[in-house]
Amino acid sequence: MKKIDIGDGAAIPSPDDKQLLSAWWIAFVGTIALLIALPIYDPDTYGAVLAFIPDGIQVTFEVTILSIALALIIGLITGLGRISENRIFNLLASLYVEVVRGIPLLVQLFYIYFALGRIVQVPDIVAAVIAMSFCYGAYMGEVFRAGIMSIDFGQSEAALAQGFNKAQTMRYVILPQAWRTILPPVGNEFIALLKDTSLVSILAVADILRRGREYAASSFDYFETYTIIALVYLLITLILSKLLAHMEQRLNYYEKR
Amino acid sequence: MVKKILLLLLLLVAMVPSAYAQRTILFATDATWPPMEFVDNNKQVVGYSIDFLKAAAKEAGFKVEFKNTAWDGIFSGLLTGKYDAICSSVSITKKRQKKMDFSEPYFEVRQALVVAKDSNYTRLVDLKGKKVGAQIGTTGYFTIKKADGAIAKSYDEVGLAMEDLKVGRIDAVICDDPVAANFAMIKYHNDLKISAIVKTDKTEYYGFPVVKGNHEVLDLINKGIVAVKTKGIAKKLKEKWIGK
Repeated sequence: MKKIDIGDGAAIPSPDDKQLLSAWWIAFVGTIALLIALPIYDPDTYGAVLAFIPDGIQVTFEVTILSIALALIIGLITGLGRISENRIFNLLASLYVEVVRGIPLLVQLFYIYFALGRIVQVPDIVAAVIAMSFCYGAYMGEVFRAGIMSIDFGQSEAALAQGFNKAQTMRYVILPQAWRTILPPVGNEFIALLKDTSLVSILAVADILRRGREYAASSFDYFETYTIIALVYLLITLILSKLLAHMEQRLNYYEKR
Repeated sequence: MVKKILLLLLLLVAMVPSAYAQRTILFATDATWPPMEFVDNNKQVVGYSIDFLKAAAKEAGFKVEFKNTAWDGIFSGLLTGKYDAICSSVSITKKRQKKMDFSEPYFEVRQALVVAKDSNYTRLVDLKGKKVGAQIGTTGYFTIKKADGAIAKSYDEVGLAMEDLKVGRIDAVICDDPVAANFAMIKYHNDLKISAIVKTDKTEYYGFPVVKGNHEVLDLINKGIVAVKTKGIAKKLKEKWIGK
């Protein structure tokens, strides 16, 4: 056995290692096995829950995909605003981040749906997407800002010296490099957002959790219902985290050589 | 050592009277169901069911304590023994009776259809393809599920469903008639109305569910209910909280 010191890079398995017994594989195989075995073991409870929630899974995906797309756009604009030399743009972006970060997501959801609902009525899924992307846009903004700032200043200097204007420098020199730093935290936010969509069930949006609660409320099979719900969320996030890890690896392809 | 023995004795003495004192029964209540059980401006849980139970406790000689609990999960808490019973306008249904024991009925309810003031919906069949809201896991929600073609939307609280109906995001709400009256005639009297009472083949009654097989608690509650009904207290409470 090789002694491993703290801070020794060898302690962390490289993503290239084709380990069969990684934590991810154990979790993934275990989740799939349970999701297959439990409904067979008791079709009247576990099986019935699983049959009850597919439209909820679809709603969860809809809310997640739309929210993440909007949050990325809002995040990019906010991130650029936070490093902008334009005072007003900078101030607006900072104000937005401060306000959104200071209000719990659940309160934001209630606010957009019920409080603003007195003034403008939007359908429940739209309200959910607005609230989620508004909230996550602020966090994404900070991720983008950090990513852009991590690129050495010499890069912009060189680009500007080559005759690029500021927008072109950002578009063709800084952002393509910043992506590598930005992607891992964006991936984390993506998974966090997917999990946080369970909060929208409070708005009577029929997502996975709401469907599960409806099932449990009429059948009283609380244990079986929430076991299946937890496994379904876990399976989705496990698949997502693997996809994101692959994307990261591909982006880092040239750095490894 | 002597001190310890003294302390122990003192503890024993302190515990003895409680053995003779009245039994305290812990009830869970989801206080979002006016006028049956709700939180008033003084942050106290009040309402018809609450007063009824307090009167029953006085008659049968037990003490009641309330624990405000979210409706979704209130039965789960009872099944796992977090409290002795539920006082939350629980309709007695066959499915619920399989999991819990119910007290004698203490109130008769019907399902009311609440709609916007300018709407023409008067029957369940009018709501084909329409969004109808109710509180999750209530008999009102099950009524929508049974109705042909209506899109059921479940809310955590009936008040949230009423708010969505008021702003026009859903087309109707179904809930117990005293609650429907409270919202349609008091809180939202400018916007909502009760358009119909849903016809059912069986009469629906409220009861107090207890853990299956807990006869001690059930007998106490039943004793109180009978007394409250025969002494005419129930009638007075109905006038106080519900009116006509």
